[in-house]
Amino acid sequence: MTPAEQLKDSTLALANSAQQDDGLSVLRQRARKQLQLLPFPDRKHEDWKYTSLHPLTAGQLNQSASALQSTPSFPVLGDCVIVIGNGFLPSQLPTLPAGLSVTPLSAGGVSDAAPDTLFGWLNNASLNDGLLLKTERNKKVAGIVHVVFFNHSTTPCHAANQLQVEMAEGSELTLIEHYVGSGPILTNALTRINSGANSSLVHYRLQSETADTLHIGNLQIDQQRDSRIDSSQLMRGNVLRRNDVHVRLLGSGANLFMRGIFIARDNSHIDNHINVEHVAAHCPSDQVYKGIAGEKGRAVFNGRIHIHPYAKESNAALSNNNMLLSNEAEIDSKPELEIYNDDVKCAHGTTIGQMDIEQLFYLRSRGIDEATAKRMLGTGFVNETLNAMPDDVVRDWAIDWLGEAL
Amino acid sequence: MLEVRDLYASVGGKEILKGLSLSVKPGEVHAIMGPNGSGKSTLTNVLAGRDGYEVTAGEILFEGKPLADMEIEERAQAGIFLAFQYPVEIPGVSNMEFLKASLEALYTAQGKEPLDAISLLRRAREACQLVDLDQQFLKRGVNEDFSGGEKKRNEIMQMMLLEPKLALLDETDSGLDIDALQVIAKGVNTLRNAERSIVMVTHYQRLLDYIVPDFVHVLADGKIVKSGGKELALELEEKGYGWLTEEGAAV
Repeated sequence: MTPAEQLKDSTLALANSAQQDDGLSVLRQRARKQLQLLPFPDRKHEDWKYTSLHPLTAGQLNQSASALQSTPSFPVLGDCVIVIGNGFLPSQLPTLPAGLSVTPLSAGGVSDAAPDTLFGWLNNASLNDGLLLKTERNKKVAGIVHVVFFNHSTTPCHAANQLQVEMAEGSELTLIEHYVGSGPILTNALTRINSGANSSLVHYRLQSETADTLHIGNLQIDQQRDSRIDSSQLMRGNVLRRNDVHVRLLGSGANLFMRGIFIARDNSHIDNHINVEHVAAHCPSDQVYKGIAGEKGRAVFNGRIHIHPYAKESNAALSNNNMLLSNEAEIDSKPELEIYNDDVKCAHGTTIGQMDIEQLFYLRSRGIDEATAKRMLGTGFVNETLNAMPDDVVRDWAIDWLGEAL
Repeated sequence: MLEVRDLYASVGGKEILKGLSLSVKPGEVHAIMGPNGSGKSTLTNVLAGRDGYEVTAGEILFEGKPLADMEIEERAQAGIFLAFQYPVEIPGVSNMEFLKASLEALYTAQGKEPLDAISLLRRAREACQLVDLDQQFLKRGVNEDFSGGEKKRNEIMQMMLLEPKLALLDETDSGLDIDALQVIAKGVNTLRNAERSIVMVTHYQRLLDYIVPDFVHVLADGKIVKSGGKELALELEEKGYGWLTEEGAAV
């Protein structure tokens, strides 16, 4: 058997081991069937050309994570904090701000939308439980909601984390989904957001697990008409980090802004695959992603913009700027445009470079030593993007946390 | 302060400076003028230590120590300041953060106690005022989206704050209107004192109406072909450089 075939077998066995009889039985059963049909991705697949799933042969797919005894430590960034450990919901959910409700997925309301990827299906098949957040129509939820997924194990295992967000028409929410934890555990994260008409969501996806972890995540967003999303996706590298972000602008006037920072140092690996579909007309989308790789770090960025035939007057922009800090670091960046309408504005650009020697000279000519100057330029490169984030508390934390990696 | 002795320097294998000598004593203001391509900017870049500028012969002494042995930042720490002809933009690094890092580095190297945050901010604000730069510029990225004149004023603002022993002004007057030039000249003149030396490289005599030099040198084809007092600048204004470069070639 090839490693991919072995991993596929492990995937099916893992899926079969989750057989609880609860509100998720139908979801799991459907996912198990689907998993039989899907090939396990390997590097012959274009989408996985630069990312090997070989690290999973350490055994992450052989065992589901068990409930945690320890309490996690993490920075509190929100006014309302919900902690989910290894995919197990807390026995008691906190008091929520007005205009927001939270329900375990097992208690009903789980979406039957098909996940995009094999790992999305595996998430459904092996899900212990997840969270459904729902806003109330025309209500603004006060403060920041901080959902913490803490995943920790000392042995290789798999934890399915699932979050669904239903933004009701005209509602507003600021949400942080925050992944923390350590050890050789694979976090399989599936997040779905459905933005109702004219709703407004500020979204942060923070991935601050330690470098020995693995993370494969799916973020799927559907935007209805006139909905607005400002999404920040910040991450540092680990053994394996892969994010598939898929946004569909389904109603006219839907407005998307996404920014991302990924920093791969040492031997870490980060792969971001972004796919933004302009299905409806009159939608603006703007994406700014920045990557840094140092030592033997490796990063991959694939940004696709797909303009459908009826999506006239789409205005889509994507930029991906990358900085290499060493000769052995590697970043592969590929923007893709697919446009099936003539009446659109579309721009994309990608750069990969070393630190700017003119900038370095300027700082040094003012007495700043080379190492400090390099660190300042690295943080400057990142902070330029972080400074535009809407919430001070997240921005200040992110500047420190990402600064540590530079 | 500064001794340049029979300096030869090349950029990308092309020899630009060909036997340049210059002696600057404490408190003196020197203007170096010359036509395009004569080597004016090469001289300031060599002094500041920019990569790619190679000294092939001769030597440069700063306070008796050879510059060749000093890294870029060490030259700055020793008291050399270059006001750039084209200051670079550094988005994401705020002007204030940059000034703080710079002052800390200089003070540490000079064995001085670093300024506390409040004194630093006060001094930065004062420096901004002197060059007519709004305090908001301290919060913005270094030179980010600054106009040409704002960039030049930002250079002089840094100079006011860093108080160098030797200031090199590389065409700081180029592209400025007269109002902006006066502001910059005021800043530079404030800094003039018996210990501080200033070397101004310029293309235009106009600058010297506002910052009156003690010495004027004409640089042509990589060396100084004529030196004199401030009246030499007026002569150049009248006659151009032609008569000198020919005279220089004949020597």
